[in-house]
Amino acid sequence: MPYEYLEHQADVGLEATGATLEEALRDGVTGLLNLLVDVETVEPREEVPVQASAEDPGALFVSLLNAVLAAIDLRGMFFREFRLTRAGQIDGQWVAEGVLVGEPIDLSRHAVEIEVKAATYGGFLAEHTDQGWRFRCVLDL
Amino acid sequence: MSVKALVRKIHDYLYEIPPQGRMRVPARLFVDERALRELTEQSSQEWNALEQLKNVATLPGIQKAAMAMADIHPGYGFPIGGVAAFDPKEGVISVAGVGFDINCGVRCLRTTLAREDLEGKEEQLADTMYQVIPAGLGSTGELKLNTKEIDRVLREGAHYAVSLGYGREEDLTYIEETGRLPDADPSVVSNTAKQRQLAQVGTLGSGNHYVEVQVVDQIYDAEAAEAYGLELGQIVIMLHTGSRALGHQIGTDYLPFLDKATKKYGIEVPDRELVCAPIDSPEGRQYYRAVMAGANCAFANRQVLTHLVREAFWKALRVPDTAIETLYEVAHNTVKFEVHEVNGERKRLLVHRKGSTRAFGPGRPEIPERYRPVGQPVLVGGTMGTASYILRGTEQGMRETFGTALHGAGRAKSRRAAKKAYPADEIVRRLREQGIIVRAHGKASISEEAPGAYKDVDHVVDVMCKAGIVARVARLRPIICLKG
Repeated sequence: MPYEYLEHQADVGLEATGATLEEALRDGVTGLLNLLVDVETVEPREEVPVQASAEDPGALFVSLLNAVLAAIDLRGMFFREFRLTRAGQIDGQWVAEGVLVGEPIDLSRHAVEIEVKAATYGGFLAEHTDQGWRFRCVLDL
Repeated sequence: MSVKALVRKIHDYLYEIPPQGRMRVPARLFVDERALRELTEQSSQEWNALEQLKNVATLPGIQKAAMAMADIHPGYGFPIGGVAAFDPKEGVISVAGVGFDINCGVRCLRTTLAREDLEGKEEQLADTMYQVIPAGLGSTGELKLNTKEIDRVLREGAHYAVSLGYGREEDLTYIEETGRLPDADPSVVSNTAKQRQLAQVGTLGSGNHYVEVQVVDQIYDAEAAEAYGLELGQIVIMLHTGSRALGHQIGTDYLPFLDKATKKYGIEVPDRELVCAPIDSPEGRQYYRAVMAGANCAFANRQVLTHLVREAFWKALRVPDTAIETLYEVAHNTVKFEVHEVNGERKRLLVHRKGSTRAFGPGRPEIPERYRPVGQPVLVGGTMGTASYILRGTEQGMRETFGTALHGAGRAKSRRAAKKAYPADEIVRRLREQGIIVRAHGKASISEEAPGAYKDVDHVVDVMCKAGIVARVARLRPIICLKG
C-alpha cells in the first residue's frame, strides 16, 4: 500500500511508503488528494507547479503536503493527480518539485470529502531503510 | 509502570499524574472515573491524549500543571481540551498550543424571537441560511479583499468588519478581547497566508464548524440568565468557525520556523509537533505577533458571519437586524498574556488554550460590564442532535485552571469510524424526527459530525460543573443546523 490513513480520534494520520524518496513523496500527496475530494469527479484540465523545501526529508514531506493545500486555495482548484518531477538535496536543503493536475473548483460536480487544515509534525516519522522511505504525519481536520 | 498506576485521585472530578521523567509539573485532568478509565485504556494507542498532556508538562517555564478539561481527546502535540500557562521569562510559545485554526471560536447571538415565532418557518429559514452563508471546502465569501485590506483585517479584526458595514459597534463589546488583539503584526504573516484568505473572509468552513439555530430549553441560574439576556423559549444562534486558510497557513509557516528555534535554543521536546521558542526571544515574539494577526482574522470572520446570519433572518422572516444581538464570543485556540495567581502572587503568564475556552470568574476587568458581577459567559457547543450550554466562569476556575473550561462535547469516535457507522441520510432523517433540520454542503460532514461521534455533552458539562470550574446558566436545544 503506497499510502495509508491511520486512525486518530479527531484528525487522521497519513503514512506514505516508497522504494525511493520520489515515490514516497508522490504517494503521500496522492493520499492527501484522495482525502479531500473524490478525484474521479475532477477533470485533468490544467497543470499547476508546486514546490517545497525543508531542512530534512521528513519536514519536506510535511512541507510538500502543506504546499498542495495552499495551491488549492491560491488557485481555487481541486486536483486529481500529482506528478513529482524532482526531489533531493540541493545546497543542504531538501527540495521537491512537481505538477498538480486538476481544474477550477465546481461544487456542483466535485464530490468534496473533507477539509484538511494542515499537515502537522504530530505523529511525525521519517525512515530510510534498505526497503526505501517511510513518512508519516497527522493531518489536522 | 502503567499510566493507571501513576494517576492520583484528588477528588471525584480531578485526577493528577505527578511529575515523572522530564515532566516539570503534574498533569491534571478534570474528568470522572469512567472517563479516566477510557483515557488510560487508550494510553497504549500511538496518539493518545494522556501522553500528549504529559509531554506538555515537560515544556520549559510551565506553571502549576498541564491541564485538560472533561472534553479531552487526542490532538497533535497538545491534547484537545488543554491549557498550559508559561512564565514570560522562562517559558515557551508553541504552535501546537494554538493549533492551525488560530482563534477558532464560538459566537452566540440572542434574539427577540420565541420558539413559536419560528413555528412552520423552519424549512424556509434553513434554506435561506444555506443560500446566504458560504460553507464547505472550496466556498468563497461575498467579501473579496485586496492585500491592503487583508492587512487591515489582521490589524483591526472584527472592528474592520464593522467599519465595512458588517454588524454593529455594540457587537464588539461582547467579543473576547473586543474582537481585536493590539499586538497583531501583518508584516510577519506571509503573502501566501494573505493570498489564501482574500476570498475566505466570511466563510464558515467545514468539519466541525457550523451555524445552529437553538431554543433555550432550561434555565439553571436566573440571575446570570437575566444578565446574559436569556429566557426560556427564546431563540438563540451559535456560530462556530475560525481563521480559515490564513490561520492554517500561519501555523504551516511557523512550524519549520519554530523547529529551527527549538534547535537554536537547545529546547528538548518529546514530540516534534511541540516545537517552540522562548517567549522572550525574537522568534517567540515574532510568532506571537503572527498568531495575534491570525486571531484578528478569526474575529473578523465571525463578525461577517454574524452579519450574514442577520441577513438570512431578514430575508427569510423579515426579522430586523436589531432583533439579533451578540450575547458573547469565546475563542478556543489561543495564546494570550493574562494575569493569574501563582503561589499567592499575581503574575503575568502566557496562557495557551488548545480546544478549550477562557472562562473568567466574576469581577475580572476583561468581562463586559453587564456580565462582570456573574462571570464570563462560557459557550459550549454540543452536536447537531444534542444540547449546547451557556455556562459561567467561577472564582474556583480562576484559581484552579487559569480561568479555563471545556469547549465542547469532545470527540469520541474518529471521523473515519463515524463515516462508516452513521450514513448521512439516516442521520438527517433521525434528526428530523427529533424536530432538527440539517442543511449541509457535503454529506461527509454529516456522518463525521454525527451526534454519536461525540462524547455525551450533558455528562462532560456535569463533570466540569461538579469540579466547580464553571456553573450552568442555560441549556439550548438545536432546531436548525447548517454545516459545511
